[in-house]
Amino acid sequence: MSTATTAKTVAHAGDGYHDDPPLVAGNLSFHEVTEMVAVHTEKKTPLAWYGAFSLANIGLMILLLSVAYLFWNGVGVWGLNNPVGWGYAIVNFVFWVGIGHAGTLISAILYLFRQQWRTAINRSAEAMTLFAVICALLFPTIHVGRVWAIYWTLPIPNQMEMWPQFKSPLLWDVFAVSVYFTVSLVFWYVGLIPDLATLRDRTPATKKLRQKVLAFFSLGWSGANRHWRNYEKAYLLLAALATPLVLSVHSVVSFDFAVSIIPGWHTTIFPPYFVAGAIFSGFGMVMTLMVIARKVYNMENIITINHLEKMNIIILLTGTMVGFAYITEFFIAWYSGVPYEQYAFINRATGPYAWAYWIMMSCNLLFPQFFWIKKLRRNVAFMFVVSIFVNIGMWFERFVIVVTSLHRDYLPSSWDYYVPTVVDVATFIGSFGLFFTLFLIFLRFVPMVAIAEVKMVMPQADPHFYEHGGDGHGAAHEVKAGKHTGKA
Amino acid sequence: MAKTVRRSSPLTWLADPLQPTEATGAAFRFTGDMRWWLVPVLIGAALLVVSLVGWAVDPRQFYFSYLVGWVFCVSLALGALYFVVIQHLTKARWSVVVRRIPEALTWAFPILALLAIPILIGMHDLFHWTHHELIDPESPAYDPVLAGKAPYLNVPFFIGRLVFYFAVWTLVAYRLYTRSIRQDVTGDPEIPALQRKTSAWGLALMAVTTAFASYDLLMSLDPHWFSTIFGVYFFGGAFLAAFAFITLSAILLQRGGMLGRTVTAEHYHDLGKFMFGFTVFWAYIAFSQYMLIWYGNLPEETVWYRHRLEHGWEAHSAVLLFGHFVIPFWALISRTAKRIPALMAFMSVWVLVLHWFDYHWIAMPVLHPEQAGFHWLDFTCWLGLFALTFGLCFYRLSRHSLVPERDPYLARSIEFVNA
Repeated sequence: MSTATTAKTVAHAGDGYHDDPPLVAGNLSFHEVTEMVAVHTEKKTPLAWYGAFSLANIGLMILLLSVAYLFWNGVGVWGLNNPVGWGYAIVNFVFWVGIGHAGTLISAILYLFRQQWRTAINRSAEAMTLFAVICALLFPTIHVGRVWAIYWTLPIPNQMEMWPQFKSPLLWDVFAVSVYFTVSLVFWYVGLIPDLATLRDRTPATKKLRQKVLAFFSLGWSGANRHWRNYEKAYLLLAALATPLVLSVHSVVSFDFAVSIIPGWHTTIFPPYFVAGAIFSGFGMVMTLMVIARKVYNMENIITINHLEKMNIIILLTGTMVGFAYITEFFIAWYSGVPYEQYAFINRATGPYAWAYWIMMSCNLLFPQFFWIKKLRRNVAFMFVVSIFVNIGMWFERFVIVVTSLHRDYLPSSWDYYVPTVVDVATFIGSFGLFFTLFLIFLRFVPMVAIAEVKMVMPQADPHFYEHGGDGHGAAHEVKAGKHTGKA
Repeated sequence: MAKTVRRSSPLTWLADPLQPTEATGAAFRFTGDMRWWLVPVLIGAALLVVSLVGWAVDPRQFYFSYLVGWVFCVSLALGALYFVVIQHLTKARWSVVVRRIPEALTWAFPILALLAIPILIGMHDLFHWTHHELIDPESPAYDPVLAGKAPYLNVPFFIGRLVFYFAVWTLVAYRLYTRSIRQDVTGDPEIPALQRKTSAWGLALMAVTTAFASYDLLMSLDPHWFSTIFGVYFFGGAFLAAFAFITLSAILLQRGGMLGRTVTAEHYHDLGKFMFGFTVFWAYIAFSQYMLIWYGNLPEETVWYRHRLEHGWEAHSAVLLFGHFVIPFWALISRTAKRIPALMAFMSVWVLVLHWFDYHWIAMPVLHPEQAGFHWLDFTCWLGLFALTFGLCFYRLSRHSLVPERDPYLARSIEFVNA
C-alpha cells in the first residue's frame, strides 16, 4: 500500500459517518415532518379514537366505582390481612411509578448523553410519565384507612402543633412523587412550547377558540434567537436536575421496603436495583405504546426500526441488571448466614407464591435475553410481545417483593396467605382506564412527537447541508441513499 | 509499512502483548523519552523493596497495606476496562481521542495477577475465615456462621475464583487492546463491530466478576458482615477513579508536548462531567448502604459501621464524606472548572487519593479496630504498586499510537464540541 493510498484510507476511515442510519427515514423535508405530526391534532377525530376512548372510559368508570365503594366501606373491602398489610395498592403504586421513570430517562438522561434518537420518542414518553405518575399517586392516597386526613402528611402549621414524622420513607414518598410530578410536568411543558406555537401558527383564522387556546399555552413563542438560547439553557438545566431526581424518586420508593427489618425487604441493593427495574418496565411500556402508535399514526419514518432497536438494547441492558440483582440477593441471602433471610428467599422460590416468583423470573430474566439476537431486536411483533411480558414480569416483581416477604416473616404464628378481592383487581384494571383516558386525550390534542427537536437532528438542520449541491439536491440524493448524515 | 501487528516475546508479553507499532501521524506519537515510564517503574520497584522490609517486621500490617494498594490498582484497571467497553457499546464518538489511555491501562491485569501472590501467601493473616478452628465443630473457637459460609469461603475455591476473574478480565482486555492497536496498522473496517461484540458479552461477565471479586477481596475481610450493594459500591469507586486516571494521563501527555490538539477542553469537559456524575453516583450508593443499615440497625450489619465510627475511625468516615463527595461535588459542578486542565489535574489526583482512602477505610478497621491511623507501609505498598502500574501503562503508550488513529470516528472526536 503506497503512502498516498494510506493517507486516503485514513481520511476516508476518518470521516466516520458511513454507518449512521439517518434518524428520520424516508427523506422527509421539514414541512413534511410538521405535516405528519400536526395533522393528527387538526383532522376530524377518527372513529377508532372514539372507540378506544370509550373503552378507556369504561376502565375509568370501574376505577371511580371501586374507589367510591372503597371510601364508603373502608379498606377492609380489599384482601389485606394482618401480616400482609400492603397488597395490590402498594404493588400498583410501585408499578406505576416505575413505568413513569422511562419518560424522564428518555427526556433527561438520554439528553445529557447526547442521544439524538430520543427526539422521536421523548414527547410521548414524557406524557406517559405524567399519566403513570397520576395513576401512581392515586394508590398511596386511597390505601390509607382515613383518606380525608391525608393532608396531615404535609408539613402545614396547624392548631394541634403537630408535624409529620420526617424519618418515615412514606413521607419521603409524598415529597418525592409530588416533586417528580411537578418537575416532569414543567419539563414536558417547556418542551411543548415551540410545538404549540407551530400548531397555533397553523390554525386557520376561522377557528378562533383553538387559536386562542394555543396562543395562550405557547406563551407568545416566536422562535427568536434569544428565545432559543434561553430555551436550550433551561432545557439542559431541567434535564440535569431531573436526572438525579428520577434516580432519587425510585430510590425513595425502594426505601419504603429497604429501611424495614423484614427479611426480603431489608437489603441494601434495593435503591439502584429498583431504579434499574423502573427503567426496564418503563421502556417496556414505551415500547408497547410506540409499536401501536407509530402504526396507527403512520409515524414509521420518524419512529424508525432503529429507534425501536435502541430501546430494545436498553431493555436488554436493564433486564440483565435486574437479573443480576436477583442473583445478588439470592447469593447474599445465603452468604449472610441469617436463617430468616435464607428462608425468605427459599419461600419465594418454593413457597405458596412460587407461581408468582417464577412468572417474574421467566418474564424478566428470560424474555429480554432474546434481544441478544439482532433479528429479534428488529422484529416489531416480537418486541411487542416481549414488552408486554416485561410489564407482566415487573408487576409480579413488585408483587413478589411486597407479598412474599410479608406473608411469612419472623413469627410462624403470624403467617398467612393474601388473596386479592374483586375490588383490588377492579382498582388495578381501572387504573389502566385512567392511564389510557389521559393518554388518548394527549394523542388527540398535543403533537405526539417533538416536532422542533426532530427537525434539529435532521440532516437539513446542519449548516453545511446545502453546500454540496447549492440547492440541496445533491445532498438530498445522498440522504435517500442512506449515506449522508449532514456534514460535508 | 507493516500490514499486521506482531506479538511480543513471551517475556515482554506481560508488559505489552504486542511489538511496537509505527504510527502514520507524528501528532499521535509518544515523543517523550524512556524516563516517562522507567522512572515510575523504578520508583515502584524501590518502594516495593522497601515494603519487603516492612513485611519482615510486621507481616500482618504488610498484607493489609498491600491488599489495599493492590485492590486499588485492580480497580483502576477494571474501571478503565468498563470505560472502553461502554464507549464501544454506545458507539461513543467524543471519547475516541482519549480511549488509548484506558486501553493501555487495562493490560495491567497480567502483572496484577502475578502481584497477587503476596496476598495468597498472606491469606491466613488477611482473611479470618481461613482459620480452620472456626469451622471445626469440636474446637472451642467454632463459629457456626462462618462454618455455614465455608462452601463459598474456602481457600481452593477462593483461588479458583480469583483465577477465573483475572482470566475473564485479561481476555476482554486482550481483545479490546490488541484489536485497537491492529486497527491503527491495518485499518480493518470489521474491527468496530468486533469490538462491540466483545464488549457486549464482556460487560455482562465483568459485572458479575467485579461484584464477586469485591465480595471476595474486601467484604470477606469481615466475614460476618454482608451487604448486597457492596459490588455496586466497589464498581462506582473504580469507575470514578478510571476517569481521574484518564484525565490525569491526558493532561500529563499534553504538558509533555504530546497529543497535539487532539484532546481539547471539550474532552476535559466531558471527562469532568463523568467525574462529577460518578462522584454523585458513588455518594448515592455509599449513602444508600449506610442509611439502610443505620435505619434497620440489625446487629449483624450495624457492627461494620460501628467499627468505622469509633476509635478515631469516625474522623476517617468524615473525611470520606467531605473529601470523596462534598468537595469534588462543588469543585466539579461548574462548566468553567471542568474546562481548566490544571484544575482537572488537581481534582484527578484528589479523586485517586480519596479512592485509595476509601479502600483503606474499608479494610483497615478490620486490622486496627481500636486505633485509627496510617502505617508507613500503607503508603509504600500503595504508591509502589501504583507507580508500577502507571509506569507500565506509559510504557505501552510509548510503543503504540497515543490515539486510535484509524478509528472511523477519530475525526468526529477531534472536532467534537459540547453543544
